[in-house]
Amino acid sequence: METRALVAAGIVLAILIGIAAVFLASPDPDGLESTALVVQGDKTLTGDTPPDARVNENSEGQFSYEAPLPDYSLGELWGRPGEILALAAGILVMVLLIFGISRLVVRPAK
Amino acid sequence: MHIPDAFMPISQGIIYWAIALVFIALSLRWVRQEMDETKVPLIAVLAAGIFAIQAFNLPVAMGTSGHLVGGALAAIVLGSPWAAVFILSLVLIVQGVIFGDGGITTMGANILNMGVIGGFVGFYSYKGLMAATRNMNISAFVAAWLACLIPALACAVEMWIAGTFPLALGLAGMGLYHAAIGIIEGGITVVALHLIASVRPDIVSVTKEVTT
Repeated sequence: METRALVAAGIVLAILIGIAAVFLASPDPDGLESTALVVQGDKTLTGDTPPDARVNENSEGQFSYEAPLPDYSLGELWGRPGEILALAAGILVMVLLIFGISRLVVRPAK
Repeated sequence: MHIPDAFMPISQGIIYWAIALVFIALSLRWVRQEMDETKVPLIAVLAAGIFAIQAFNLPVAMGTSGHLVGGALAAIVLGSPWAAVFILSLVLIVQGVIFGDGGITTMGANILNMGVIGGFVGFYSYKGLMAATRNMNISAFVAAWLACLIPALACAVEMWIAGTFPLALGLAGMGLYHAAIGIIEGGITVVALHLIASVRPDIVSVTKEVTT
């Protein structure tokens, strides 16, 4: 596959994965959050996660940072289309970042 | 496995950041020495794909979900653990800074776990298993499974040092859940390797390993 086609196909595939993620991703907590819930006593090791279980994040004395697009979303108003846009934006930022950094550090092809 | 800011004292986060920065600098040196313009598009596509698939949490039973981390995949495809450090560092920076997925003070620890430990465990397990079995599918699956499990255990130890998890329960939870999530890591890594090698065998290091 030609290089330009590879990049285009790769970006399209990444965006399709992102769209699938918006609609199909599991709402269950990830491994770290699940372990935190077990430690808190809100979940057993092998049991299901109760729907109302939340990880206690004690932010007192900790650094806190408000990300511009928290939880891969543009906010409730935008709903799922906003989540798709947020992921697409992230994918494009990744591609531009790699090409940008490579321009600075990678040697030209012989 | 993305540690949020609230899970770790800032002082410990700084120590992991310092270690991570050394590895990031070394990965940039690897990019400068080993990569040329022909491989940049593959790196970009891999980074975009890993970023996208990390948002796709799949259920793994026990009330838990997980996604591909991608350290083993990046390292195997590009033939170096430094590829994983480079790509995962950038993915984690974008996730943390733009999307609040993973903390800022804990980003060094996240880079250390998923990029450095995941990349090195994934790459060297793959190399060792390939030498022993000559089977790419088995080698990549097991290497990727280990590249999910071992960073999770490292994360559990970090959470213990941070006072967030007790050691035994943290290791049990992180180990159990990531042993399950690692099956996703292994499966997707094998599929992605075949996909990438089929479209561009010329720039993928894995095919050279397989055919030699």
